[in-house]
Amino acid sequence: MPTLTINGKEITVDPGTTVLRAAAMLGIDIPHFCYHPALSVPANCRMCLVEIEKARKLEPSCYAKVGEGMVVHTESPKVIAARRAVLEFILVNHPVDCPICDQAGECKLQDYYVAYDSQPSRVAVPKVGKAKAYPIGPRVVFDGERCILCTRCVRFCDEITGTSELTVAERGDHSEIRTFPGKELDNPYSMNVTDICPVGALTTRDFRFKCRVWLMSSTDSICTGCAKGCNVHLEHFQGEAQRYRPRFNPEVNEYWMCDAGRMSYLELHADRLPSLRVLEDSELSWPRAARKVAALLGEKATGEGVAFVASAQSSCEGLMAGREFVRTMLDDAPVFWTGRPDGDGDAFLIRADKNPNRAGLAGIFGVEVLAQDAHRLLQELERGAIRVLYMMDSTLPFTSDEMKRFRAAVEKLELFVLQAPRRGGLDDLADVLLPSTTHAEQDGSFVNEDGLLQSFWAAYRPRTQALADWEVFVRLARGADRELSFSDFESLHGALHAEQGAAQDAGE
Amino acid sequence: MDLVWELLIILLKIVVVVLLFAFPIGSLMTLLGDRKQSSLIQNRIGPNRARLPGINHPLVGIPHFLADGLKMIFKEDIIPRQANRFWHTLAPAISLFPAIALWAVIPFSDHYCTGTATMVDYRDVCVDGAFYNLFSISNLEAGLLYVFAISAVSVYGAAIAGWASNSKFSLLGGLRSSAQMISYEVTMGLSLAGILIIYGTLNLNEMVVVQGQLLWDWLPMWGIVVQPLAFFLFLAAMMAETKRAPFDVPEGESEIVAGYFTEFSSMKFAVIQLSEYVATVFVGSLVSTVFLGGWQVPWLYGDGFYFGNTDEPSIPLPYWLVIVLRVGSFSIKTLFILWLQFMLRWTLPRFRYDQIMTLGWKILLPLSLANLVITAFVVLVLL
Amino acid sequence: MSTHNVTVVERPRRNLWVQSYLPEVAKGLAITSRQFFKNLLTGSDIQTVQYPEVKRDYPLRYRGLHRLTYRDDGQVRCVACMCCSTICPANCIHITAAEHEDTSIEKYPAEFVIDELRCIVCGLCVEACPCDAIRMDSGIHAHPFYERDKAFLNKDYLLDLGGPSTAVQGGVLGSRSAR
Repeated sequence: MPTLTINGKEITVDPGTTVLRAAAMLGIDIPHFCYHPALSVPANCRMCLVEIEKARKLEPSCYAKVGEGMVVHTESPKVIAARRAVLEFILVNHPVDCPICDQAGECKLQDYYVAYDSQPSRVAVPKVGKAKAYPIGPRVVFDGERCILCTRCVRFCDEITGTSELTVAERGDHSEIRTFPGKELDNPYSMNVTDICPVGALTTRDFRFKCRVWLMSSTDSICTGCAKGCNVHLEHFQGEAQRYRPRFNPEVNEYWMCDAGRMSYLELHADRLPSLRVLEDSELSWPRAARKVAALLGEKATGEGVAFVASAQSSCEGLMAGREFVRTMLDDAPVFWTGRPDGDGDAFLIRADKNPNRAGLAGIFGVEVLAQDAHRLLQELERGAIRVLYMMDSTLPFTSDEMKRFRAAVEKLELFVLQAPRRGGLDDLADVLLPSTTHAEQDGSFVNEDGLLQSFWAAYRPRTQALADWEVFVRLARGADRELSFSDFESLHGALHAEQGAAQDAGE
Repeated sequence: MDLVWELLIILLKIVVVVLLFAFPIGSLMTLLGDRKQSSLIQNRIGPNRARLPGINHPLVGIPHFLADGLKMIFKEDIIPRQANRFWHTLAPAISLFPAIALWAVIPFSDHYCTGTATMVDYRDVCVDGAFYNLFSISNLEAGLLYVFAISAVSVYGAAIAGWASNSKFSLLGGLRSSAQMISYEVTMGLSLAGILIIYGTLNLNEMVVVQGQLLWDWLPMWGIVVQPLAFFLFLAAMMAETKRAPFDVPEGESEIVAGYFTEFSSMKFAVIQLSEYVATVFVGSLVSTVFLGGWQVPWLYGDGFYFGNTDEPSIPLPYWLVIVLRVGSFSIKTLFILWLQFMLRWTLPRFRYDQIMTLGWKILLPLSLANLVITAFVVLVLL
Repeated sequence: MSTHNVTVVERPRRNLWVQSYLPEVAKGLAITSRQFFKNLLTGSDIQTVQYPEVKRDYPLRYRGLHRLTYRDDGQVRCVACMCCSTICPANCIHITAAEHEDTSIEKYPAEFVIDELRCIVCGLCVEACPCDAIRMDSGIHAHPFYERDKAFLNKDYLLDLGGPSTAVQGGVLGSRSAR
């Protein structure tokens, strides 16, 4: 266990640790471009040079391993001068078009320039021109002039996805990131290169010019694209989600997320249910609507022929509340479940199950509910065994043919209550429409495929009348002058954790 | 027949005094006094944009004043929710009533002499005829008491307006104005008591007649000459009574929006404003009546100017000209006091509430008491 | 505790003369009356400028309506970096960025709307602009509008007010000396 001194502070670390990591443990930030904790270390940007006593010259701290009694200076005049020189060198051919560049605001080069260099260019010859706004892949745009050749993207494609599309071509100041001939940067994780790119050389086509990064607020959230439950930063501006960015979680997704999941934020605002509707009445407040719906349910949803459809898209809290709602308001009606149909999966992050909370659904309603899927529901409907249907979601795993059959069957129902964030092509058939929130508009949690309970937080307020699923259930119960066993999120969340803990203990 | 004739004359007098004197001057003051005078003091031009049709001249801004009036009429009349509608509607009328009623006893000139007017011992006498009251609405014997009584009533307008509006600002304004007006009424009455002792009458016209006396045969015995201290006390008290700056805490804009008339709009607002200005003009006329010789022109009597106690006028003048000069004299004195009030308004900053109370109770009241005692003593010794 | 740099200011001594307030009232009246008669008779101290007919010369740095400068070829100079709309304390600048077909320009504002009703004429947008694209030196008053829609000045209107910028895009090579 070597002990070393960095900027006068002592630390003991495992042998083989790099100086940069040891400094990070002390809270000392060493500027760097090419180093990334998940990738191999090429030490090519020279930004992380530090002064190590008794070494003949400055050492790259991302590569240098610690040694016993090492004395490191990360802010000495020599180091600062080296950083200035490195930055000036990097900026020789950099266009400095920050106003145009989407990276501005989260650009390491920009930050370091302000922190260390801050001098006008001394180069009087024209800059070398390179590819501008080049579509290097279907989802990624490349700007050669802004590139500092740190090769993070190249190493990502080599080491993480193993697809090796990228390489460095040409020499000297003509060096450029390129795809191999005939290839393009088109793998299911390609957009991760835009996150790891320290400058604005690689940007996503989707986010391009959409919103400046400093305008956005960031909320910790969970990707709902599949059952993996990748942790994300949900970044939003003026109540509108702008993009997902992977959030580091070593147990789930590390630094990465798939392209499909990244683009799934687009669904947050698409096809939303606009407002409450009970029969013909569409100008309603929640308390009035709750009384009306409760009266309707009290009249029709008794005895045989009532069915409740839980959603694998909904949060655990919503499902817990739904379970209690079925007990108190729907006479323990049979429960079905719905969600997106299965798709392709891989060995890395993408799961075949495209629902974020199927494990949570099974935990709350019991594993046996998984057999009661949407196709079973369709059979029951066509058999005429159901006259009142309460659906928690409008997402259905149907082909267009099945959808036609489903619509025909639903039309014959006595009462069809649809509580959903999205229309899903069912809003015209529903007798009652109760808009609910997406996961971006509510606090809650999902259980991912590995049984991990992960929380997410409300990023912004819904623009419509939508309420979180659990709150809808509470309000409907209140409309019938009944109380569920909780009335706020905290007690519900507490109950959920107690239940999950008990289930885990039982499992062990 | 005589009664009808009498009534017609009284009606005519009311119309002339209220509609042709008090209202026009009172409302013009809103423009000329508040806006034009202030602008000149503050090196501005003041209202100068509005034009009467066909006349391309600002006319010292009078078209603005007409436009304001027109605008007031067309504004929405708002009664706040929860306000007491009855009193809220009545309050402006209660404010306006005393402001108009006060004018009943102000003499614009001496009684009309149906015979030949001449002078004996610095008093007009009417030979071959009788005096006939033509220049004040009512020749009330208790004129000054009437003035005190009616001006005491005017506090109700502000207090009721403030209370009925259901607004904190209004209520505060109403409370402030009641406290202030009641405090200063005391000084107002006591400062005039000295003058009562000297003139020995409550009749305002009689007071003016007495002020025609000459001391040492050359100095008119005006109130300001015989009671200089009372003049200042009375002026200060009257300014406080009318809530003019620097005594304008009841409507202190920086603290309580507009005080008791915050919640009034349209013509109700206009009426409250108008009654304030009419009351201000009345202060001018009362001060000039009691202290500045009213309609008296120095050394001018029924048939001309007398320099010294002679039998024949030094400069004989026809009786109609004497009347014109006297009415003019009264008007000019009134306007001068008005001008002075506005001048003070634009000169002095608003007093703090405690300063107003201190001034009223601890300074003006003792001074007026002292003034009364000394006057009584002097009168007792001299006569 | 040292007291050597403490200046003791004596309380004003208010004798009866001052306390009576009358001399001060008289002094004040003298001043206001002097101005009143002076302006009534000669008008010599009146400072008012009869605005629409008579106009004062604006100072060189007067901030009026915004204008958008253009490039040498007449295209809008703005690159939709949002710096102005970010710094705007009144939130009155609304820009929609779009891709320009010329890759050397890359980004331009498809929409550029300034809500002059909200604008507080602070000039921070001009300070923030890295491209000398927005300026407030049009010399035109931010005037009232008869219709609310007219107060939303769009890109075309602002460009009509604009002119070519004197700054060189990207700076002049070699002209910037090292410190």
